[in-house]
Amino acid sequence: MTMLRVRDVGMRFGGLVALQGVSLDLNRGEILGLIGPNGAGKTTLFNCISGLLNPTEGSIFFESRSLRFAPPHERARRGIARTFQNLQLWDSMTVLENLELPIDAAGNRNTLSDALGLPFSHYAERAAAERARAILHVLELDPFVNRLAGDLPAGIQRRVELGRAIAMRPKLVLLDEPAAGLDAGETEHLAELLRTVRERFHVSMLLVDHDMSLVMKVCDYIYVLDFGKVLARGKPAEVRNDSKVIAAYLGEASPELSESGAETVEEPTIIVRSSGPVHDGESAEAAATVVPAASSETESQVLAARGEPLLEVTGLAAGYGRLEVIRDIALNVHAGEVVACIGANGAGKTTTLRAISGVIHARSGRVRFAGRNITGSRPEAIARMGLAHIPEGRGLFPRLSVEDTLRLALDSTGSKAHIEAAYDVFPRLQQRRRQAVGTLSGGEQQMVAMARAILAQPRLLMLDEMSQGLAPTIVQQLFQMIHVFRDQGIAVLLVEQFVQSALQVADRAYIFEHGSIAHEASAAELRRDRNLISGSYLGSAAAGEETAIEVAANGNGHVVHPELMETVSMRMPAEIKRALEERAEREGRPAGAIALELLEEVKK
Amino acid sequence: MMPGHIVRFAVAIVAFAILARLPVGLDQAFQFDAALALIWGFGILSLVLLTGYAGQVSLCQATFAGVAAYGAGMTVSSMHGGYLLGIVIGVVFATILGVIVGLPALRLHGITLAIVTLGIALVFDRYVFQDHIFDWFTGGTGGWQVTSADLLGIKVDSSQHLLAAYDVLLALFCLVSVLMVNLHQSGAGRRLRAIRDSEVAASTMGVNLTRYKLLAFAMSAGIAGLGGSFYPLIAGSVSPQPFWVFTSLQLAAIGVLMGVRYVPAAALGGLFMAVVPDVLTRYGHGTFMNRFNYDISFDWFQIAVGVLLILQLILLPDGVWGDMRAKLLHARGAAQRKPAREAPA
Repeated sequence: MTMLRVRDVGMRFGGLVALQGVSLDLNRGEILGLIGPNGAGKTTLFNCISGLLNPTEGSIFFESRSLRFAPPHERARRGIARTFQNLQLWDSMTVLENLELPIDAAGNRNTLSDALGLPFSHYAERAAAERARAILHVLELDPFVNRLAGDLPAGIQRRVELGRAIAMRPKLVLLDEPAAGLDAGETEHLAELLRTVRERFHVSMLLVDHDMSLVMKVCDYIYVLDFGKVLARGKPAEVRNDSKVIAAYLGEASPELSESGAETVEEPTIIVRSSGPVHDGESAEAAATVVPAASSETESQVLAARGEPLLEVTGLAAGYGRLEVIRDIALNVHAGEVVACIGANGAGKTTTLRAISGVIHARSGRVRFAGRNITGSRPEAIARMGLAHIPEGRGLFPRLSVEDTLRLALDSTGSKAHIEAAYDVFPRLQQRRRQAVGTLSGGEQQMVAMARAILAQPRLLMLDEMSQGLAPTIVQQLFQMIHVFRDQGIAVLLVEQFVQSALQVADRAYIFEHGSIAHEASAAELRRDRNLISGSYLGSAAAGEETAIEVAANGNGHVVHPELMETVSMRMPAEIKRALEERAEREGRPAGAIALELLEEVKK
Repeated sequence: MMPGHIVRFAVAIVAFAILARLPVGLDQAFQFDAALALIWGFGILSLVLLTGYAGQVSLCQATFAGVAAYGAGMTVSSMHGGYLLGIVIGVVFATILGVIVGLPALRLHGITLAIVTLGIALVFDRYVFQDHIFDWFTGGTGGWQVTSADLLGIKVDSSQHLLAAYDVLLALFCLVSVLMVNLHQSGAGRRLRAIRDSEVAASTMGVNLTRYKLLAFAMSAGIAGLGGSFYPLIAGSVSPQPFWVFTSLQLAAIGVLMGVRYVPAAALGGLFMAVVPDVLTRYGHGTFMNRFNYDISFDWFQIAVGVLLILQLILLPDGVWGDMRAKLLHARGAAQRKPAREAPA
């Protein structure tokens, strides 16, 4: 029954031990969860299983055969498919082509016959296209069939990746953070989808994700990794109550469940701002730009006194290519205020930030910052005025050391701050000052990005998806930092998936829907009246408390019988399979159950 | 055959019918240019497959053509084989070299691969085509003379041979073009494009990288060699000069200029590369309005290619053909219908 057997796998990169003595068993038909803090080695294990890396020690067996000398494509043929944390679709191909490829990649089709367009190739093409369309239909991707994969929003791309993995007819699918970047509603939908996929395509899954609600809901069994070792394993309910796991992964308490975790985090001190005037216009660079020759502090106060916002956006529209993503955006941020932008994926939050910071051109509308019109200004000029933008994915240079990254920020913005100021705020970075940024963990990288931003002594900091892909403890610390920024008088404009956490720190929030702002409300109001945010959002807050009753159930609410999965994944003639599926549809029961019944009859 | 295939063959036949009689009235030199345009057309076509489809960089396509040209010349002059055999041997030589060049490509990407292939082009230019050790292959400093060659009744010493060779080359070019478009739209082509877009994803989705990268290099070298093996037939001899390093660079530059992802760009590029320098050397000097003397030599062509390449990268990022095609499709309102499957035809 054991499909995937991982035994004592170790992986080291030079001196870094990424995995150490990891053993893991996955049974047929199971959805196995793999969780752990950032840098615990989850993706490394995935790479070892899918063949992108060869483990330095230990062995991996798939269906009782060693995978030691099998290259990635050979493993794919044996039935291991995977998705990628950083999307790896073939961007210049259509969605349909993305699915057609794995369908026929396993069969060794003749290149010459393809080029000549012989009937054999023709038939195979049609069959592949048909199957690809069927899979896209199940994943509700029909409208995107002929779109180029690279043009789609990230959430849709994740689903296409899942479809592509299934298209290979795998026995095992490795899912690397399928919920990253999805909002609570979409994650809920994904959980449904994963169950449907298991039922319809008879696959086992190994799932890595930070979204605990998803992992707890869909997984049959969970392994917890920490520092490259298996820390704990068990059923979701057991793992959730395991004190070791809670300590290592969730922090003292899950941030979604309680707010007490916030107090345990030591509040760092911040000494960023020099006491003198900040933008004094003395530096040649600053003089060349539109920076006003006044102290930012006093100006902010003046603006605040006048009631004029620090950032004022009116009628903003922007987009990419022929696509208009946002229109008629009006928002403002006052000095020293924390404002959150929330909304579903693809609602236009990121695009709004990009249009404000000048990374993309505004098509219409006006952006005023610190009393000046900055619409159409170059991004570096806007940055020097004191508007810092930390983009999604952080925009770091992976090969630069921490210290060089920070120094670069000082040089390029002409800021007078000292690098030590950043180390005071993030002491952890001082230990890692010589390390290349690319080798840091996700949380540390976010710290570098934030340190870099505050070294430029901004008046407004725009944070895009700060917490994406980070473990809850780190996220909590980062949110704590926002409090610190506010205390220092830095205004913050925040785009965030963790709505509850965002509302904890924010004063006000804008709710984005379909490229424009649907509501504006104070954070307190939103915390009180949850109906103001769409119901889908609150799923994430409540999900943690749900019990694991449904865990073993499939999409139809039937308990998955291990034997059943075995039966259904047997090879059988297509006519029989189709007859079974038709009957299943008529009777509204899973095909596997009918197959089992028939088997019983035959045995009698 | 699928409807798409029939359409493509029909287009190819029509194109052949129109183009076959085009150089009839022209003088010998322009007929030579027409045939040369097709040889360089094959060179760019090979880049479309290698760079445009599979995403691999190569700066030694003229070397593949040169090896094939010398192979054909050697077969005909030294071994007294028929020209048909010469072509086969030329293409086989080029393909073998293609596989050898493809081996480092299994590990290298982008700029490093470009340097390695440039190195191979240099080595062949200096130490094979021009070195006495390889006289058995290159025929010494004079190269091979193929004045007595005979291909399907085309005799090199007849006055009509350029036109006939042009027609054979054109037919082959049309055929290979159709096959390449078919390939682009089929499973094998998708696998090549998957390697271009994301190698990790391709390998974990069952694409054998070793096999398909080597296949791309082999096919590409074979296509370049097919054109190159005709060079002795149209020129009457082989020499190192047409296949030196700079030709490889020019093929790459003009390929990108015309749109390296599209098959018709190869025809445009070949024409540009063969005809424009000749026109310049012939008509590029004289007196303008009886006052100003001017002399636009071949050197000007190279400068022009450089300037055009820069302009193209700014104005037409997808190449001359690529952007023309996009504009045409857009004008036809194809944007509202299903977006094009990136068909290069």
